[in-house]
Amino acid sequence: MASEDSTAETQDKQVSFKVKTSSDGNHTITMSEAATVLDLKTKLSGDDYEKVPADRQRLIYSGRVMKNEDVLSKYNIKSGNTIHMVKSAQSNVAQNPAGSPAPATGAAARSAPGVPTNMAAGTANNPLAGLTGARYAGHMALPGADMFGADGGMGAPPSEDAMAQMLEDPNVQQTMNEALNNPALIDMMIQQTPALRNNPHAREMFQSPEFRRMLTNPEALRQAAAMRRMMGGGGSGGAGAFPAPGVTDTTPGAVGTPNQPNNAAANPFASLMGGAGAGAGGAAGGANPFAALFGTPGQTGAAPGTAGSPPANADAPANPFASLMGGAGGMQGLPPITPEQMQQAMQALQGGGFGGGAGAGGAGGGFGDLFGPGGFGGAAGQASPPAPADTRPPEERFADQLRQLNDMGFFDFDRNVEALRRSGGSVQGAIEQLLS
Amino acid sequence: MGAKVPRNFRLLEELEKGEKGLGAEACSYGLTEGDDLLMSNWNGTILGPPHSVHENRIYSLTMHCGAEYPDKPPTIKFQNQINLPCVNPKNGVVDPSKLPCLSDWKYSNTMETILIELRRYMAHPNHKKLPQPAEGSTY
Repeated sequence: MASEDSTAETQDKQVSFKVKTSSDGNHTITMSEAATVLDLKTKLSGDDYEKVPADRQRLIYSGRVMKNEDVLSKYNIKSGNTIHMVKSAQSNVAQNPAGSPAPATGAAARSAPGVPTNMAAGTANNPLAGLTGARYAGHMALPGADMFGADGGMGAPPSEDAMAQMLEDPNVQQTMNEALNNPALIDMMIQQTPALRNNPHAREMFQSPEFRRMLTNPEALRQAAAMRRMMGGGGSGGAGAFPAPGVTDTTPGAVGTPNQPNNAAANPFASLMGGAGAGAGGAAGGANPFAALFGTPGQTGAAPGTAGSPPANADAPANPFASLMGGAGGMQGLPPITPEQMQQAMQALQGGGFGGGAGAGGAGGGFGDLFGPGGFGGAAGQASPPAPADTRPPEERFADQLRQLNDMGFFDFDRNVEALRRSGGSVQGAIEQLLS
Repeated sequence: MGAKVPRNFRLLEELEKGEKGLGAEACSYGLTEGDDLLMSNWNGTILGPPHSVHENRIYSLTMHCGAEYPDKPPTIKFQNQINLPCVNPKNGVVDPSKLPCLSDWKYSNTMETILIELRRYMAHPNHKKLPQPAEGSTY
């Protein structure tokens, strides 16, 4: 117990720490060390934080349950450390004395009656308590193929305007961003794409803000579409909107156009980029949101922008992707990606069941099917057939996740795989499964 | 195996992980006394696994890391009474021979490994419905 003197000394000392809640909340709080645990709980019960009544909060720091009447300094919380908060069920709050956390506190006997009144509640009296936990969080985040109805979300594609409008909806944007934040989804996309799989920077690419903005910015979509119409290029034509065939082994996407020339404009992504690039080089330069992304706008615009031009196997600077990815566009550290790689990537994304259509959906296309019927599939979209089921063995498919689980101490392979299957590859979800 | 991490470094690492809350959410651990230079005595808590009799209970444990940790496992003792086959009903000490991570102790195991394993042990289908002593009772 602190003496009078030391209490006075610590009176004004502030300490900042984090409070992590079972529902993934994370707060940074600065308080005086002289404040009691109850003060902290009261603070946490406020509207700014968890809105959980103080008597339902249980705080754990460093292996100890924190007792209401103790001052924070007693727990020696160091700056930046984390206190865990657990919500208890509403029931039998008062009558249960809490366990004495540590022998060393020497306060067990004294505190027994009044103590962590909140920490003892069982769920026995609250049948719904089990439903409120954070443990289900992992299951919500992943969209599944069955979310999109019978046609797999490949209905008639909306126009560019419809798409852009859809993207303007903050909810949609949020969903997109969340999806892009979900490492499992990115894993899935990367895994399904041979070229990306072998590219150590693929993940960075998906995570880069520029790439995201490209996928989610309605203005960008509109402009790209307008640009493409203006160009009148293959990109907007029906045939041109087919993904370029014959490049990958994994693509069912090219049905019906076996011998179509492998041209850049036929690739939705390329046409999007090409169109935009052309615009940048041409009249609309100032207004073009992509302009900034391209290192050498005029040049890049020229190559793929010409509809039906031969394969975009031009050298790196002439390739919009190369310049986009190569660092000119602000994503530093990425090596140039060849057009073939990029085409493969886009194709696999499409053929792989992500993108229903093509065309302006080049950007949205990758995610088209994930979000709602019709998705942002593509203007001239010709839906590719749904992806074949991923037949790779689980140890390969979930390699990353399994490694993570192993690192966390889950060594039972079969259970891990089972849990990952159920959670759709989300490690968080799998852990919840494993622990439940 | 490469160079072995000396006991103190290893324990400091675990301490940091525990205090910063970097580990699994359902378990927490830290030094019993902040000024314990030998870092021998630790507290741990386990949140009872959901869908079991332990749900919404918090179990406090003490862990003692001897001089030979992490070559030898720490001794674990429950503070709160618990009815588990691996726990001595008289004093709460965890029987190392009955918990796989203790009986097959590996150098790479940590206290967190043990806490997680104990939690999983509680959630085991054979154990999760065992009648438990009144909540909050201690040894």
